Amino acid sequence: MRRLFLASAILASLLTASLSLAAAALAALAPGSPLAAPCAAAAGNRAALVVEHGDGSVLSRCVAFGTATVTGEGLLNSSGVAWSGQTFAGFGDAVCALDAEPARYSVCPGKDSYWAVFVSSGGGPWQLADVGISSLTLGNGDAEGFRYVPSIGAPAAPASAVGACPGAAAPTPAAPSGSVAPGSGVPSPSGGADPGWLVAAGVGGALAGLAILRLVARRRSSDT
Amino acid sequence: MTGAPRTTALGLRAANFAPRAANIAPRAWLVWSLAAVTVALVTDNPVYRGLVALVALDVLLTWLPRGRRLRRLAVAVLLSAALAALIDLLASHTGADVLARLPDGLPLVGGPLTLESLAFGGALGLGLVAALLAVAPLSLVLEPHDVVDAMPGSLERTGIAVATSLNLISGFGRTFTEVRDAQRMRGWKPGGFRSWNEVLVPTLLTAIEDSVRLAEAMEARAFGAGRRTSYAASAFGAREAVVVGAALAAAILFVGLRILGVPMDWDPYPTLSSPPIHPLAVVGCLGLALPALLGPTARGRAVGGRHG
Repeated sequence: MRRLFLASAILASLLTASLSLAAAALAALAPGSPLAAPCAAAAGNRAALVVEHGDGSVLSRCVAFGTATVTGEGLLNSSGVAWSGQTFAGFGDAVCALDAEPARYSVCPGKDSYWAVFVSSGGGPWQLADVGISSLTLGNGDAEGFRYVPSIGAPAAPASAVGACPGAAAPTPAAPSGSVAPGSGVPSPSGGADPGWLVAAGVGGALAGLAILRLVARRRSSDT
Repeated sequence: MTGAPRTTALGLRAANFAPRAANIAPRAWLVWSLAAVTVALVTDNPVYRGLVALVALDVLLTWLPRGRRLRRLAVAVLLSAALAALIDLLASHTGADVLARLPDGLPLVGGPLTLESLAFGGALGLGLVAALLAVAPLSLVLEPHDVVDAMPGSLERTGIAVATSLNLISGFGRTFTEVRDAQRMRGWKPGGFRSWNEVLVPTLLTAIEDSVRLAEAMEARAFGAGRRTSYAASAFGAREAVVVGAALAAAILFVGLRILGVPMDWDPYPTLSSPPIHPLAVVGCLGLALPALLGPTARGRAVGGRHG
């Protein structure tokens, strides 16, 4: 029973430490904190949509929405641009055809070319999204970009969204080539170390250390 | 319990009667394993999978009875992971960072080999590692009859039937080898497809004969007649409640975060990116680590646990 209490106490300490880190991370992202993205009023929000075709032609739209945020799929639907997609488990909706490109397809994403999705948050540079458009969240002044790119090689960012939404913040033309997209597909507002990674590194280190201790103990007991 | 298990005059394995380290009820182990597998497979995020694998390794090293080795499991797990990574590298040609290129004429594997497909294959392999380590306590920590004991009452007979069938697989392999060797001694040589009839038919007949004999033996021992003993089922005490509660909480947390739409998965295509990590999910993985912190009690080591 004493061991049970001891184990519970150790686990509780670990949980407390991890929860503290998690709470600190959530507090840092809470509205009003210096790291939080500015949140505009719900009514009259606008986000830009940029579609760059394989031949270089560009289609831009400014889409208004009444809620505080909108999904990438919602923005695309509200824009009136025709598209079709496919849902992938754990990824979300992928765009297979957009604005009649490709005219027909049998596999999605295409073997030779596909629609790369980019996001610009608050006038920042284009960032490649690595989740489906149904998982993207956009706010006032953000932009969603699509570019039809070859399957091989780093996808180039679409044309600038400057002027697509007059009065709203516009993104710079392109992110540095070969940049690594953030995990969520949306740029981190802090730009610093991800708190999730800090917690994971701490927990992983502790678990690896415990495994090494157990291995050494087993080796010693088998030697004796 | 050291060395190879001995066979007694009654045909029972002496190892079954040796002291065991398992003094958490089998049913709690079963719930823990299911929860760990759920956490490992509900997302394809390699960070969570890696944490589950580490947790399961800690639990195994804590509870592994003396005399049992992890080497075979480690080799099998690492080979599975490497194979998964290799297959994905060779078969998936998507991704921005090309490492090498195989001639396009090669079926299936021809085309660019990319860093992204290697990373995705690695994540798949890590999922295999985590899942295998999560279910390993059921075979390495528990005895086979403990696993049957862990099944709900209504599934007990099904469990026995499945366990018996699985045991017959290795028997089938042994019979195949014996029949093949016997046929070779009679001058048989492997040739075309038809020549294998001389090995497969006797093997199949022997397997059927073994199954019938086993069924008769089980029936003679009153299989299916209901419990005839007052032998106590494994107790479910405070340790079990804590282990099961923490494991279920971890599984529910992961499923809940997924339902709530928190990004849990990782997709390395078209360019490699860092997996999204939610601090709460990491904390959830810790809930699975409780058996590693508890460890077998001195009584459990000495007499084989409360249910033994």
